[in-house]
Amino acid sequence: MPDALPSTVVNTTTPTNANAETPDTVFTVRDLNVYYGDFRAVVDVGLEVYEREITAFIGPSGCGKSTVLRCFNRMNDLIDIARVEGTLLYHDIDLYHEDVDPVAVRRRIGMVFQKPNPFPKSIYDNVAFGPKIAGIGGDLDELVETSLKGAGLWEEVKDRLDKSALGLSGGQQQRLCIARAIAVQPDVLLMDEPCSALDPIATGTIEELMREMKNQYTIVIVTHNMQQAARVSDRTAFFTAEADESTGQRRGKLVEYDDTGLIFSNPADKRTEAYVTGRFG
Amino acid sequence: MKPAWRPAPPSIWSRGFAAGLEVALYLVITILVAVVEYFVAGPFQDFDLSNWWIGFIIMAAWQGWHWAAAQTPVGSYVDHYIADTDGSPACFWCVVVRQLSRFGFLIALPVLAFSTNIALAVALFAVAGLLIAFLPDGRAPWDLLAGTVVSESLAFERPAALAEITKASDFQLGPQRIAENNRARRMMLIAGLSSVFISVLILWNIFSEAWEFVSASEFEWSLLTDIGWFPRRNKFDLATLFVGTLWITGIAILVAAPVGLGVAIYLAEYANSKVRTYVKPMIETLASIPSVVLGFFAISFISPDILKPGGSIFGIDFGIFSLLSAGIGVGILSVPIVASIAEDAMRAVPKELREASYGLGARKATTALRVVFPAALSGISAAIIVAVSRAIGETMVVFIAAGGSGGAIFEANPTEPGQTITAAMASLGAGTDSVAGSGIAFQSLYFLGALLFIMTLLLNVFSDAIVRRFRQVY
Amino acid sequence: MTATTPDTPKSPLKTGAGKRLTLDALKRDRSDDLTGQVFLGLLLLAVAIAGAMVLAVLITVAIDAADVLSTQFWDFLNNKSSSDPARAGVAQGIRGSILIAGIVSIVAFPVGIGAAVYLEEYASDTKLTRLIEVTVRNLAGVPSIVYGLLGLAVFVQGLRGITGGSSVISAGLTLALLVLPIIIITASEAIRAIPSTLREGAYGLGATQWEVIRTQVLPAAMPGILTGAVLSIARALGEAAPLLVVGAAAFYSTGFQGQLDQLQGAFTALPMNVATFAKLPADVWAGHAAAASVVVLVLVFAINLAAIIMRARLTKKLGR
Repeated sequence: MPDALPSTVVNTTTPTNANAETPDTVFTVRDLNVYYGDFRAVVDVGLEVYEREITAFIGPSGCGKSTVLRCFNRMNDLIDIARVEGTLLYHDIDLYHEDVDPVAVRRRIGMVFQKPNPFPKSIYDNVAFGPKIAGIGGDLDELVETSLKGAGLWEEVKDRLDKSALGLSGGQQQRLCIARAIAVQPDVLLMDEPCSALDPIATGTIEELMREMKNQYTIVIVTHNMQQAARVSDRTAFFTAEADESTGQRRGKLVEYDDTGLIFSNPADKRTEAYVTGRFG
Repeated sequence: MKPAWRPAPPSIWSRGFAAGLEVALYLVITILVAVVEYFVAGPFQDFDLSNWWIGFIIMAAWQGWHWAAAQTPVGSYVDHYIADTDGSPACFWCVVVRQLSRFGFLIALPVLAFSTNIALAVALFAVAGLLIAFLPDGRAPWDLLAGTVVSESLAFERPAALAEITKASDFQLGPQRIAENNRARRMMLIAGLSSVFISVLILWNIFSEAWEFVSASEFEWSLLTDIGWFPRRNKFDLATLFVGTLWITGIAILVAAPVGLGVAIYLAEYANSKVRTYVKPMIETLASIPSVVLGFFAISFISPDILKPGGSIFGIDFGIFSLLSAGIGVGILSVPIVASIAEDAMRAVPKELREASYGLGARKATTALRVVFPAALSGISAAIIVAVSRAIGETMVVFIAAGGSGGAIFEANPTEPGQTITAAMASLGAGTDSVAGSGIAFQSLYFLGALLFIMTLLLNVFSDAIVRRFRQVY
Repeated sequence: MTATTPDTPKSPLKTGAGKRLTLDALKRDRSDDLTGQVFLGLLLLAVAIAGAMVLAVLITVAIDAADVLSTQFWDFLNNKSSSDPARAGVAQGIRGSILIAGIVSIVAFPVGIGAAVYLEEYASDTKLTRLIEVTVRNLAGVPSIVYGLLGLAVFVQGLRGITGGSSVISAGLTLALLVLPIIIITASEAIRAIPSTLREGAYGLGATQWEVIRTQVLPAAMPGILTGAVLSIARALGEAAPLLVVGAAAFYSTGFQGQLDQLQGAFTALPMNVATFAKLPADVWAGHAAAASVVVLVLVFAINLAAIIMRARLTKKLGR
């Protein structure tokens, strides 16, 4: 069936942005391929991520959207068998250049994970961890407070900063992880299905937070929740998993990347339309 | 250039840990040197002061390399960087004094080792400590112990707002963090290699000495099948020891397997959490009883209060020392081994298997015996093999309770005293045979050690292979 | 059971299609149940025997020790070894055991924990890593007396200049090698139990690998690591076989002279005291062997208890 459909990657370079002026590019991705051993998990992805925007990656599970996201701060380096090929530019700098230290990359490009993963330390120490290892100067207390305020958590935890972070609720833990990520003052925040483990109310709080943070950070979010992408993102990339003709293995592909409004109202690709209208996935 | 913000120095614990690691490294190097020395100068030459300088020169070369590397742009940036607390390269004299203080430590060790002049050693430490304490960067004296490990973890990066990134090489960490990271990795690798090192030491030592035994001029193969085990009189009948070891192992397994497996099945299948909180500590208590205590138990309870009255019914006269008594003692030691490994194996059987069995109308006993037990069989056999290997290697119970302290004549009857491989080694080593250091009787100790090592190694490899297969099933 | 024939269907499955299922078919099968009861009885017997073993050991030792401990308790703890039963004590053994435990912890803890960190955090699946893992597993199964041989050759004879021959240093280093694989294995298990989300959290903030290990992995794994390490000390305190080979003295008369003498001179340890007393004629010395056993047991149990308490406290501190 996929064979009958038109070419895979549609409209990646010149998104039909409603705004006249195109914002600055943060990430430029060209022909990105990710391999796990011999298995090519992601095929020929190309897209651009713009500054002070929320870019959403959607698609059915196993379509490689998280894998692509993890290329952006080189988290895939932690997997021994993972190999990344292609071009991934951050402000015109090749992130996979041999001079680039992945640790320094993660200092600028923060990440929030699927499951809230606070350290088994106090709330204060969780937020202060990043600044301490990065050697950020200034008043730590103030930094912790600003970060927690930035994550909308300050009012809830200001009286128990020295209590263990594991005592917080799931939604609070995830916001703590966001506060922890922004405490090192990164340029970009990557969010890997940040709400999948949370209830709807906590999800709403975090979505609101994301809209506020957009003024300061570039955000890339992976979500399996189409409504969430529609609600918060400016641009949406739709990935899908297609069976390889020769091997039959399912590999991730970028199908369409465009303004969120267009993706959800008038997608160019039939597969996107099928997905956003709930016919598969 | 002083930093605006100074982080808290590492805690006393992390300093202590670093110091311990570094001291351990020195010891490893010392031992390495000694091993070289041992091979060069021949076995059992005393290791005296003059030879210490080999180690000293190696260390000096290493330090010199560090210092030289720190002077080069590449070296200072990547690896061999010695920094002040504000992140700038240390001044020349700081480096010199710091490295000299490490020499001081290295000198102090041999002084400690070779003279009773403690005062001199203390003075050396004190001088070096004072030098360190009054360095411009103000380290604490005890940091001397940890050398550069701690002093460099004290160093930290200059507080940095995010700098403009214009090229790929701007994505770099500061030199301290890189150096610290590399150093940690190297030290952990050395620690990891220690196990390989110990294995090589064991193999080399034991087999070279065993070879010396076999190739000695007094040695003939017929000595290994003489009338008994009398190393002093050059009679090394292996059958005497093997029959003892076989009896001990067999009796121990006869005791440990039923009791251990019963406990394991009960804990894995029947016991609720409340009962477990009583039974588990009981098994752990049994596991923590030292084997000497069980040896004493064998001669003070098993022999006089169980075997003597029990044996009189069948007309067997038990003395205080017998293979049977020691075997039961070793069996008691092996119960917790069988119980814990077998319980783990049965717990690893997936719940679904049990539910399937119950779903078919099976009762608990049926499920335990027909479903769980066979599914866990490989783990359970591994438990038995490990227990066998432990029983073969168990020394003190047999040494105390089997009664073969001197030589032993071939004796196949377990109600009589006997000798095992391990007990024979303990007797030789303890010098009860007055052979220590003389003739091939002493080398026979290593010959037995080699035999024991091969036997237990084969059993361990075997059980390991079984466990590996059993892990793959689930 | 043997009466079961095709004519008298017992199983409800075999009842004819037309017949209605009767209550009989759902009743408990008494014979089956009896088998189950007997089986459970046997299991309980096994547990009872294991319990009896523990009690028998503890009670025997306590009864035999009662005489010595009640009449000469402090003398027994404070006196040196002696050939006179009235004056013999375990002071030298206690001193030796404490020094050995100290040396074991200084040498084996850092190296063992370091090796575990390497295996779990750094090592990728190479031949070298597999070699290390295999040797660690096999070293854990090498009989303790073989370590004694190693200690005899390397520390007592090879390094005589430093260790002073058969000394506390030699014994401590030998036992350190003995417990090293145990520490590596338990520490590896503790580190492996740390969820990878914790590591990812720290990596995502720009921590280097060492910073991740130092600030997240090691603190979180500390309860497990320390428990294993402390239990290995208990194991080292109970070992006598390697000490026999390394040359622990049955009796020695030199008093506590210089500081160096304490480390390099003749030594003994508590399990050696037990073995020595147990090897002497029982009618006179059984009480001493039992009393020394009590001291060893109290020490070992106290360390085990300390490990349990420490684990509970550390876990609580890390938890909610």
